[in-house]
Amino acid sequence: MAQPTDKPKKGFSRRKFLARSGATIAGSLALLYFGRSNIRSGISQLAADVKFDAGITDFDPMLWFEVNEDNTITLRSPKIEMGQGVFTGFAMLAAEELDLPIDNIKVVHASTSTGPQSTAATGLSNSTASLYTPIREVAATLRETLKLAASKAWGVPISGIQTANGVLTAGSRRASYAEIAGQTQTWEIAKTPALRPASSFKIIGKAQKRIDLPEKIMGEAVYGIDTDIPGMLYGAVLYCPYVGGVLKTADTTLARTNPAVLSVVQDKNWIGVVAKTRFAAEKAIAGIKATWDFEPNYSTKDAIEAITVGNGVTVVMEDEGNATDALNSDVLTSEYRTPMGFHASMEPSIVVADVSGETVKLYTSTQNVAFIQQSIADQTHFKPENSQIMPAFLGGGFGRRAFKHNAIEAIKLSEAAGKPVHLLSTRQQEFQNGHVRPNTHHRLNGKVDAKGKIQAIQHEFATGSMAFLGMPVAKPLLGADFMAAGHGGRVPYAIPNKKTSIWSSDLPFQTGLWRGVGMFANTFAIESFIDELAIKAGADPLTFRMAHCGNTALLQRRKKLLQKLGEQGGWRKPKTDTIGRGIAVCEDHDTISGAIVELEIVEKKIKILRVVQAIDAGLLVNPDGVRQQVEGATMMAISASLYEEATIENSQFVQTNFHNYQVAKLKDTPQIDVLIRESTEMPSGVGEPPLSPVAPAIANALYNLTGIRLRSLPLQAALDSYYQETGS
Amino acid sequence: MMKINVTINDVASAFDVDPDMPLLWLIRDEAKLKGTKFGCGMAQCGACSAHVDGELVRTCSYPVHLAHEKKITTIEGLSANPNHLHPIQQAWLEVQVPQCGYCQSGFMMAAAHLLEENSNPTEEDIKNGITNICRCGTHPRIIKAILLAAKLKNNGTTN
Ligand code: FES
Ligand code: FES
Repeated sequence: MAQPTDKPKKGFSRRKFLARSGATIAGSLALLYFGRSNIRSGISQLAADVKFDAGITDFDPMLWFEVNEDNTITLRSPKIEMGQGVFTGFAMLAAEELDLPIDNIKVVHASTSTGPQSTAATGLSNSTASLYTPIREVAATLRETLKLAASKAWGVPISGIQTANGVLTAGSRRASYAEIAGQTQTWEIAKTPALRPASSFKIIGKAQKRIDLPEKIMGEAVYGIDTDIPGMLYGAVLYCPYVGGVLKTADTTLARTNPAVLSVVQDKNWIGVVAKTRFAAEKAIAGIKATWDFEPNYSTKDAIEAITVGNGVTVVMEDEGNATDALNSDVLTSEYRTPMGFHASMEPSIVVADVSGETVKLYTSTQNVAFIQQSIADQTHFKPENSQIMPAFLGGGFGRRAFKHNAIEAIKLSEAAGKPVHLLSTRQQEFQNGHVRPNTHHRLNGKVDAKGKIQAIQHEFATGSMAFLGMPVAKPLLGADFMAAGHGGRVPYAIPNKKTSIWSSDLPFQTGLWRGVGMFANTFAIESFIDELAIKAGADPLTFRMAHCGNTALLQRRKKLLQKLGEQGGWRKPKTDTIGRGIAVCEDHDTISGAIVELEIVEKKIKILRVVQAIDAGLLVNPDGVRQQVEGATMMAISASLYEEATIENSQFVQTNFHNYQVAKLKDTPQIDVLIRESTEMPSGVGEPPLSPVAPAIANALYNLTGIRLRSLPLQAALDSYYQETGS
Repeated sequence: MMKINVTINDVASAFDVDPDMPLLWLIRDEAKLKGTKFGCGMAQCGACSAHVDGELVRTCSYPVHLAHEKKITTIEGLSANPNHLHPIQQAWLEVQVPQCGYCQSGFMMAAAHLLEENSNPTEEDIKNGITNICRCGTHPRIIKAILLAAKLKNNGTTN
């Protein structure tokens, strides 16, 4: 089988230097997310998908690795373990080149002063994909560096030195990595050798148990919330409960005279207190009387009106052939909507700030260390060289932690109290003061010819922004957020005439990244519409999709994946007519992901019976890790497709906790089968792609069962309204 | 303030705390056992689940004074013998359940309790009996692991 080829990375650092302090991150806020070159390529070729890199430029092995006395090696990860299994994948990549058993590799998060830095957030499903080659290179360099040190110590040529199981040997000479590292005073960093070919992999590609699970099943894993440092106090903050509101007046008398309260801080738009216990801090917050300026009577209706095709700034994302002319007669038009949604990560936002003089240490659950450090520099007097960020395990990411959340508040509270302060958001604040997934609106026009071929398709969609939060540079530069919110907006089939335009409007509250970004909503609309066209053409939905896979490499992979999904996923298996079956597919971060859903309706409730997921994500580093991600994405997608919806009434988010924001629970679990299409491409993303086909596959299955076409999420609510309107 | 006597994971301690404070904060911030998590503060998600005198309790919504003179078991004490894993933990490792892991202590405490009440649960019993929330979508593996744990426990094949 052909193997993926490794492209050598650029700018390999060869500093003979072991440590560094106070790393600074250059670049403006916008670049932290996109990366400089990516913005340019995004502007110059709107039609192309932008590739995100890992945002890492420093590959000095001495920065990445530490050889410990017990002959284990510590890898400092510039990416965050948020449940997606990157620590295990990274350990496997390193072990492959280090000739060290994987049990001897420990992975920890790099802090801003101890390891390699990434200027990009952890997310977009790119951690393993983007570091697949670099980590092996830096590990191979470390192996050669150890050999070089041994060759000098022993006076033998480097070519005579072997490595296996963490031991260097040359004839009768023998020393562990730790022994050589202990003896070496001055390191000479070896040249990066050629990487081992995939055909010789011993670790990569074999199912590996996750290295972070033993501590997670013992309750010992340390998340941001678990930070506990000497003298630590607890903070609580009052934020504006109204969307887009600002603080007018605050009466903090009760808090100030409360003996349990040690400090009160009133900022521009929030009031915070510090107390000895969290309970006392929260009680004190409840006693603050504040008034707010806000636009009254804002509701979901207003958000829907703003996010409607035709409103806001528009950017054409693709324009092939002449869709406008081709859509002259016999046109099928459908409109779709998706609602606002919350991340609902199980661990709320958490920051522990420890200010001492001119420096600050921050312990936090974050997907974006660089962004936090830059935000601190912008909004406080702590320059990057004086702030240290210590990331912890995340209790879920999903995009919620891509920005700065409550870092500034925690720092100001710690400064006021003169002690470290633990600041945890409440669930209500997570919902009301987070950054929601913007709602979307889609209008699709399409035309099928007599031979059942789609002649033209036009996708116009409206959305808010996902990536622009806190990035004043990006917005005027790009107009609309076609990169994140517009992701997946183009129609990914071979059709002679197609046109996609995004319409972008600002909502009066923070909107942001959500797992899959725009792919979730756009795939719901496009793949539902493809189903409508298939039905109009009188074609089988699977055959119809395959017939529109042209000759590009990605479309050919899509076709093969669909074929596998159809054959092994039971697409043509006989079924009773109480069961509906639907299919959908997407291409996301170079990964092709498709799903078949089987469902029934029991007492007017949608019950998903089975989901077959098929994925082609190139070479898989850890196949079981990939299965875990596919299953997880499927459950989150079922949750978001059937139930989740954030709404606003009287200028407040209605949903305040899980009692009124329904998510999928164990009872919603269908049988989930995962089909993996082995491929020889470079590894591509797996955390997000399997999420997006689920909503349209459910909608298509519902149509298959009932003949009812539901065009808005969440689908259970859409079905309820259908029953209500029709009195059925 | 009130003096609360509790035995947590077989260790007897006394704490001087606000009697209305949720038990969760005593466990986490006073006894410094961080395995029990906060997810909602409203008895909705189960991340804070622990056993109080053998009952499954969502500690975020359980005032400490109710725990006075009681025995509490948290994830750190789930396995009575520190050298051995509880069958639930064994099954969890075997099936590779956790993703971010944040909800898992609560799920394991709920699952261990379920097995105490029903040593041979069906898939339906599990789906209806446990209402905790996992946002990473470990649902299918949780169900599989509980079925496996019941087998391990009933066969006495725990190590
Ligand atoms: S934190 Fe107690 S149930 Fe959610
Ligand atoms: S494993 Fe992350 S919330 Fe359950």
